Amino acid sequence: MKNSGDLVNRRQMVQSSVAGSLLFNGLLGELLAEDSAGSGGSKVVSSQADPLAPRSPHFPAKAKAVIFLFMSGGVSHVDSFDPKPRLIADHGREVTFDHPETRNRPGYEKIYLKRPDWAFRPRGQSGIEVSDLFPHIGGQVDDLAVIRSMHTSHSNHYNATLGMHTGSFAFARPSIGAWMSYGLGTENRNLPSFLVLAPQMPYAGTQVWASDFLPGVHQGTRVMPGNEPVANLRRRVATTSRQEMELAMLAEVNQAHQAAHGPDPQLATRIRAFETAYGMQGEMPAALDMTKETDATLALYGLKRGQTDGFGWQCLAARRLVERGVRFVELIHTGSSGNWDSHGTMADHGRLAPQVDQPIAGLLQDLKGRGMLDDVLVVWTSEFGRTPFNNKADAPGREHHNWAFSSWLAGAGARRGFVHGATDEHGIRAVEKPVHVHDFHATILHMMGIDHERLTYRHGGRDYRLTDVHGHVVKDVLG
Amino acid sequence: MKLTRRSDSKQRLMIAAVVLVISAAGIQADDGTAFFEREIRPILVKRCESCHSAARSKTRGGLALDSAEGWKKGGEHGPAIVPGDVSASLIIKAISYGDDEFQMPPEENGGKLPPGEIARLTEWVRRGAPDPRTQAVARRGGLTENEIRQWWAFQPLAVAAFKSPANSLSNVIDQLIDSRLGSTGLAAAGAADRRTLVRRATYDLTGLPPSENEVAVFLADKSAGAFDKLVERLLASPRYGERWGRHWLDVVRYADTAGENTDHPIADAWRYRNWVIGAFNENMPYDRFVREQLAGDLLHRQDSGEAFARGLVATGFLAISRRFDHDSDKHMHLTHEDAIDTMGKAFLGLSIACARCHDHKYDPISASDYYALYGILESSRFSFPGCEAKQKPRDMVPLQRPEEWSRTVEPWEKAMARTNEELMTIDKELAEAAKGLSAIPAGSLQAISSGSVPEGGGQNLAVEKTRKVKVRRGELLVLTIDPAGNYGADTTAIQWKIRESGSGRSWDLTTDVIGDFLSANPRACADNEASWVFLDARRDSLALLPDQARSLSGNGSLQAWRKGENPAVFVNTSDKPVKVWTTLAARSLFVHPAQDGPVAIGWASAVEGEVEISGRVADAHNGGTSGVNWRLTHVAADLRPILANLRALAGKRQAVARRRDELLARTPPREQAYAVIDAEKPVDTKMHLRGDPEKPGDAVPRRWLDLFGGERVPAGAGSGRLQLARWLSDPKNPLVSRVIVNRVWQYHFGKGLVGTPNDFGTRGQKPTHPELLDTLAAWFVASGWDLKALHQAIMGSLAYQRSSDLADTAAFARNTEADPTNSMLWRFDRRRLSAEELRDSLLSASGGLDYTPAGPHPLPDPAGWSYTQHVPFAGVPETPQRSVYQMTLRNRRAPFLALFDGADPNATTPLRQVTTVPTQSLYFMNDASFHAQAEALARRVVAEHVTVDKVARLYAILFQREATDGEKDRAEGFIKKYEAMLAGPDVGISQAERSQAAWAAFCRVLMSSNEFLYLD
Repeated sequence: MKNSGDLVNRRQMVQSSVAGSLLFNGLLGELLAEDSAGSGGSKVVSSQADPLAPRSPHFPAKAKAVIFLFMSGGVSHVDSFDPKPRLIADHGREVTFDHPETRNRPGYEKIYLKRPDWAFRPRGQSGIEVSDLFPHIGGQVDDLAVIRSMHTSHSNHYNATLGMHTGSFAFARPSIGAWMSYGLGTENRNLPSFLVLAPQMPYAGTQVWASDFLPGVHQGTRVMPGNEPVANLRRRVATTSRQEMELAMLAEVNQAHQAAHGPDPQLATRIRAFETAYGMQGEMPAALDMTKETDATLALYGLKRGQTDGFGWQCLAARRLVERGVRFVELIHTGSSGNWDSHGTMADHGRLAPQVDQPIAGLLQDLKGRGMLDDVLVVWTSEFGRTPFNNKADAPGREHHNWAFSSWLAGAGARRGFVHGATDEHGIRAVEKPVHVHDFHATILHMMGIDHERLTYRHGGRDYRLTDVHGHVVKDVLG
Repeated sequence: MKLTRRSDSKQRLMIAAVVLVISAAGIQADDGTAFFEREIRPILVKRCESCHSAARSKTRGGLALDSAEGWKKGGEHGPAIVPGDVSASLIIKAISYGDDEFQMPPEENGGKLPPGEIARLTEWVRRGAPDPRTQAVARRGGLTENEIRQWWAFQPLAVAAFKSPANSLSNVIDQLIDSRLGSTGLAAAGAADRRTLVRRATYDLTGLPPSENEVAVFLADKSAGAFDKLVERLLASPRYGERWGRHWLDVVRYADTAGENTDHPIADAWRYRNWVIGAFNENMPYDRFVREQLAGDLLHRQDSGEAFARGLVATGFLAISRRFDHDSDKHMHLTHEDAIDTMGKAFLGLSIACARCHDHKYDPISASDYYALYGILESSRFSFPGCEAKQKPRDMVPLQRPEEWSRTVEPWEKAMARTNEELMTIDKELAEAAKGLSAIPAGSLQAISSGSVPEGGGQNLAVEKTRKVKVRRGELLVLTIDPAGNYGADTTAIQWKIRESGSGRSWDLTTDVIGDFLSANPRACADNEASWVFLDARRDSLALLPDQARSLSGNGSLQAWRKGENPAVFVNTSDKPVKVWTTLAARSLFVHPAQDGPVAIGWASAVEGEVEISGRVADAHNGGTSGVNWRLTHVAADLRPILANLRALAGKRQAVARRRDELLARTPPREQAYAVIDAEKPVDTKMHLRGDPEKPGDAVPRRWLDLFGGERVPAGAGSGRLQLARWLSDPKNPLVSRVIVNRVWQYHFGKGLVGTPNDFGTRGQKPTHPELLDTLAAWFVASGWDLKALHQAIMGSLAYQRSSDLADTAAFARNTEADPTNSMLWRFDRRRLSAEELRDSLLSASGGLDYTPAGPHPLPDPAGWSYTQHVPFAGVPETPQRSVYQMTLRNRRAPFLALFDGADPNATTPLRQVTTVPTQSLYFMNDASFHAQAEALARRVVAEHVTVDKVARLYAILFQREATDGEKDRAEGFIKKYEAMLAGPDVGISQAERSQAAWAAFCRVLMSSNEFLYLD
């Protein structure tokens, strides 16, 4: 993890690039102030004024960063992490209940149990069963805390996706990554605190990573594969030296302005923001430059050398970003279309799973190999599961199912090789130790050292929380 | 939790047994009070009151157990205790855990009580529940009457209404501020210089910088009233409404989309946006401004024309409430919440929507207050924007009086609907009749000849040996064009001529059909016997090409018969070649096969005998594909009955289509508003217990908030919006005027006298200058709610005209120490330009800003809308008009607005945040459009001012001041150095280009500077 190295890098960057120019006066001043022990912060901007300055958690915690793997569209739990032998045995049996996705739906007057399309087998030392849909992740099951009793409040993609990210199923609210940034700040000011690697737009659009009423610094910054991963990151001025000349001139103009108009933290902050932006212009491409990764590492993620897209790229980028001190990195697999929403045929799951299976397993192994899994929490989830039944037993697809699904946690204090909770014999309802999305959020915050009831923000006369008025920490999944 | 009131004999038995046990334990009967105090009160306090106490504002499920009244009134399920009747008392059922769904205390709060306590409570109820506790304090929502009286915001204005000219109010403002400064020992900053003032005032009132000329005029005016004159001029500018209308649009969370799962666009939302801008420009009195937005339709019921229309449009305030979920009709309770929330905060500074699930915890608002207002909304009909489940918008409100509408539009719409229906019927008949074609067995097609045309090549249609074909009347000759190799193939030119052997009769495809090409398919020839047919020949069968295109690639000379995009048969009707994706020869016919198969043209024979065939198939779009194959076949079956039928139908269709065109040509004006009107029948809403519409409670009569008297909507008054509009603009209500003058103050000074402009309740901040706030409010009401006069008064104060500088640090050391946030207003706060001001300023500097007010956004035809949560509405391109006119999406926020702290389109934004983040700096460093504005400014200055001092011009345009000599020197140095850098041997560009590049770089520097972005 990143801590002391941050300062060293910034200093190196300053010295190596344009030492002697006026460009980095502000930053140099601040570094000097930080160097002088007990000086109590620089007089320009105290670090308390910086909303992204690292903050202590409510209580000590192992996790320092989160990698949030979001599978868009609804992954079938009974085909992946929730083995249901009775579902196989009772395949074709008619069942009746008032389900939100079949209620009053023409053609769904009768519904029948439908067996999984993939075989389950015990894996690892723990012997936890994972299906052949995810053989590579299955290979890492000894590091996972699998929650088989997840449930959520809505069976629509839009609402469930919003809920999984913001705790609100209808209204726009800050995203979990924004809350995390607000609560803990970030370690590397050359990079945003909350990054979202999303090649496509997800359901509910930018609300998924918005900061809403939290200050805008906490909003997620979208990173896209390709040659300009963050908007305006690529130098538009033709050469570095010309850009530096412009920035140096700007610094000069701004400093003259500040000198004439008196000390003003907002002016100083903006002068420094250009320096940080310049750093980011270098640091972000460096973070995403995978040329120095070994063949072995690339192979772990199933990446070809030079490949700059795909979920393997997203996973490796995530490791490189948390390594540099980013607090919260979300990876979205697909988006609001062409995703896991396999109404038509579960063969879509078979097509999509290989896109993520090896990369995720590779990420876990890579983090572990570098000792990073001790303080990086990896979260895997979808917005909901899929129905263990359909209107025909031999229907090739499955519908949305919010009564039960599976998610998992790994690393940074997650209990290893553990299964929490259970669904009923057919995987229809979460019956044992059910975990609602609010509980899931409370648990993730807890693992980061945050008490979900104490991380609040006053807005419109009310204190808001990620978990609203709900949420219980699932203590069982803590290692 | 579910609670059923069935009586349960088993449970009774159990209770009886318990009672027996207590009696045995020797608890003696007494006068009841002692028993209560000794045995019961401690249990209630310890076990129940953490969740059920009115005094602690915790009444889960609506139940309070800290007074006798509390349990008598009971919670959501009715009275908690029926004195003397153990089995009917819900509290006993709950504590005895007799019902799986309803067990108290719940697991997480300690679980089931010890048997002894259950026994004591049961005995207490059996004895008639003696309870000496009277409700200590009556509460209205979260406050006692006493607390309400004490909270400043609910008290009447402390200043009596008074009238005075704006400039004497300016003096009062200064007296009130200066007296506070005096008492706190803070030194006031001096006046800002005049250049700063003209910039400050111009941005403040118009959101744009002053022009050089405007600066010059102001600086030259040395009269005492120069600043007042400036303010007056700015208030008269149409730019004023665009700037201050934007403030109001922030407060009412304006957007051009609905915000439900697909973010449906709202075609008519812009009318409300423009109404707001117009209302500010015409200085509509604020009380009327409030009333119009709630009930403009009702206020102008008797009016006609413009007044009638504008009244309707004003209710857009309610209509633009956010919509929710997949089928937004089913989630109107959330939309109503959004409306009540926005209304309460915008007009009253009260968070009324907090009382949706339970009484407000901190303010005097009860849940029944909430549902009283809810009823008014539920009694109104909101325009429906469309959603995933129901794509089609509905319930838009015509902008004409109903009788006008029924006179002009209704008959037209009826005629239109009839015509469309007729067309649909004919199309169905056509499809039915065309089945005869597709039913032709493939075997009956006899090959005549075929060939291949390579890419870029051409081939004559008929080779010698097949030149003559025997054909019978009614049979079909078919020319099929099939893509060779790569699918999708290409534009192919077709010429085809048929001549009857031995007679003079002949038919030429192009000349026969090119005139009035779209009139019919099949197309009868002049002899009315033969005909040409345009066919979809995919899937080994023939079908008519059903769709017409009146233009291709936006060119009206090109017309097509097609199915979807392709396959297609099309013509260039122009006398000149047309250049589109390829150059199409004049007056020619082409075909384009489909991705997945061929297109064909048929000739239905009028000949009984022998015909000669000639013609040519030629590639008309050279490049990249593999050419086409063609084949000529003969359908040896008499198709006359089928073709005659098809032709008759096609003729009929053409006549109807002409009628439709004529109707379209005289479409009457039929504009509509996205608005709210009264529903047919008003209703009183049944409370939603815990905010859940599925759990109805008692109906609440529609009325005003209890806090302000709770006046009811009279019977027969309709929805009650008219009453609500009056209540909300009642000058006696101290919140309405305080809230708006505080907003106006805030937009001028960057912060309000009350720091929480949307929350004047007990969780909000108290005013820094209470007397000033009340003075402004009282004066404002007396002025006739005159906003422009209020601007003049505030801007005329010395407080507004103070300097923002801290350069003289020593003089203000004490100030910065004692009042670092400037809450006493000893200086003017420097502020960053808003996102809109920044964009508009950049465009204005480059000369690219279009000042025309915008109308509707260019949306696709609603008939074709099919937005889903998978593929939601994604917006329309930006225009060079002012930012307030750009499209605002709810679910996909414009990146620029997100970056520079724009308003939240999903919830009321009372005050923009100001964040400074590196990603903003990246915008100035690398954004394409920013660079384009800098380039344009450089071009403008370099071109216009060959001989003039360019640096001086740039400082004048961007900063509205003169450049110092030092600045000029530095700039010249920069330009020289930059040009020199570009003159290197590897950069082969001209001196003119070098100069432009260097000046563009310098423009970027100035446009990125703090002086440009911050307003003093």
